[in-house]
Amino acid sequence: MKQQLIEVLISGITLGSIYAVLALGLTIVYGVSKIFNLAYGSFFTWSAYIAWILTSGFFKLSYLVVIPVIIPVLFIIGVGTERLLIYPLRKRADWQTTTIFLTLGLALFLDTLALIVFGPRVKSLPQIFPGSMNIGNFTLNNNTVIIFFFAIILVVFIEVFLNKNRIGMAMRAVSQDPVGAQIVGIPLDKIFSYAFGFSIVLVGVTSILVGSFYNISPMGGWNPFIKAFVVVAFGGLGSTKGALYSAFILGILEALVAWQIGAVWIMPFWFVMLLIILIVRPQGLIGKWG
Amino acid sequence: MFLLKRINRQQKILIIFFLILPILPIFFSNTPYIMHILIFSLIWSSLAVTWDLVFGYAGILTLGHLGFFTIGAYASAMLTTNFPVSPWVGIIFGGVIAGIFGLLLGVPCLRLKGAYVALITFAFHLVLPTLIHRGDIIKTGGTKGIFGIIPLKIGSYTFSQLNKVPWFYVMLGLTIFIFLLIYKIINSPFGSAFVAIRDSEDFAKSLGINIFKTKLQVFGLTSLLAGVTGGFYAHYVGYIGSKILNFDSFLFVWVIMAIGGVGSFPGVLISAIIITILNEMLRGFESYRLLILGALVIISIIFMPNGIMGGINSLLDSIMKYLKKSTETRRS
Repeated sequence: MKQQLIEVLISGITLGSIYAVLALGLTIVYGVSKIFNLAYGSFFTWSAYIAWILTSGFFKLSYLVVIPVIIPVLFIIGVGTERLLIYPLRKRADWQTTTIFLTLGLALFLDTLALIVFGPRVKSLPQIFPGSMNIGNFTLNNNTVIIFFFAIILVVFIEVFLNKNRIGMAMRAVSQDPVGAQIVGIPLDKIFSYAFGFSIVLVGVTSILVGSFYNISPMGGWNPFIKAFVVVAFGGLGSTKGALYSAFILGILEALVAWQIGAVWIMPFWFVMLLIILIVRPQGLIGKWG
Repeated sequence: MFLLKRINRQQKILIIFFLILPILPIFFSNTPYIMHILIFSLIWSSLAVTWDLVFGYAGILTLGHLGFFTIGAYASAMLTTNFPVSPWVGIIFGGVIAGIFGLLLGVPCLRLKGAYVALITFAFHLVLPTLIHRGDIIKTGGTKGIFGIIPLKIGSYTFSQLNKVPWFYVMLGLTIFIFLLIYKIINSPFGSAFVAIRDSEDFAKSLGINIFKTKLQVFGLTSLLAGVTGGFYAHYVGYIGSKILNFDSFLFVWVIMAIGGVGSFPGVLISAIIITILNEMLRGFESYRLLILGALVIISIIFMPNGIMGGINSLLDSIMKYLKKSTETRRS
């Protein structure tokens, strides 16, 4: 019982780390540009597929080559998507409605394309750090440990980036007051594109890490996306620390639900959590960029 | 000519369509396939027009409309297959249940900003299949769905799949009712109230509009109408399963809305007919069908931001301008 509980906690913390990074990508792009990107999950799926092609699928490259190559590629894909598809809608008064239309259309387009190109059968990526380690009575998968530390490092990096880097500070300024930011000479359009590209890099890298111990499937991006959004809602839109705390709380709760009630109830659990959070505390755990 | 000037373009399009549609069975009553497509065009246009009312006019970014359609279909099917109740009562019951679900979902989410509403309602859509699969205690049919839903009946005449014309007229009646109701709402003080809320909440508040109440009313009403449409769907097809919540039906209605134009009544009537026919034509390229529909959404949002109605409007405007110019030059 005790042994089992600790195992459940470990799996909860792993889930929490994944959700934390995904939520950070969402919170940055929504905080900065107020774009609600419904295609976020599709980028999750596609990044894993691209990595699959480069590694076990065709090219048999090592991760040491793949990851440095894929990060700039993802950034360019993100910036390109923003420039080509979302930028033209920005000038319109009802851009919030039309971007939702557009990103949902894009999501369904990309998912169907993935289904056509890669087929309905699930794929899996090779493990990044195969093997496991023993601590006391417990066996930990190496990837679990990596994901956890990756999430922590990333959050520290993002905090530093937002508070010390010029582009990061510009992003914060834009999120607080876009007009004011423009007056002091911050190039608004560029910052929007960068934020979008940055979020695609975050979601892509996470999906590659996750892809090494979960399967990739054409519609597989929706669950992580919805969960990431619940995390963002719980933590407070635009709050990086809030996203981190709420990711771990919800990750552990999910593991407990899966253990005690059954895995089918995971999505209903997230839905109920979302409703409770928004009724009790609509502004989230922690307010704005803190 | 005088009469034609008094009525506006919205009304003209509605009148033209509702005069042409009733005479179509004269030509197609012997081809059930075409009647079937026509009935489906009407079902989807009724669903899309209520979705457009809540999404485009009231600015509530809901993605759960297909969910209310499904709830209406299930409620009606469950009532009529388990109790000796007329399908007409079932359809109304389905609408009421969908409306109640709409209010229940609306209370927590309508006080929140746009993106939250989109997400909660989409999560609601994604949760529904699980609830349906697990809800066999209340006879949802589990993963198999509900078979053998009884057809409609008028007096002693029972509708059948062999003759689709009566189905067509019932659905046409429902469609006309829904379109007229929405036309009335858009042009009423209630309609102006929620358009004002969409354009500027602060301004609407300063005029004394109760924002939450107005939004909840629109949300509840459109859910109810979606439920009624769903009820008809269930009795017409005779089967309802959770497959209706799959991405392809979602995408299908989404394309109809995108092409019809957000908040440009009655564009969806035209686009529903076009897209339903296009969808049937694309049946041969099964897996590419959804890809084409998805691409259509993106292309139409970028290049035709006001939808097909926007296109028709600007075309008619330029023709009018040209005509006016030519008569003026002739005079001088």
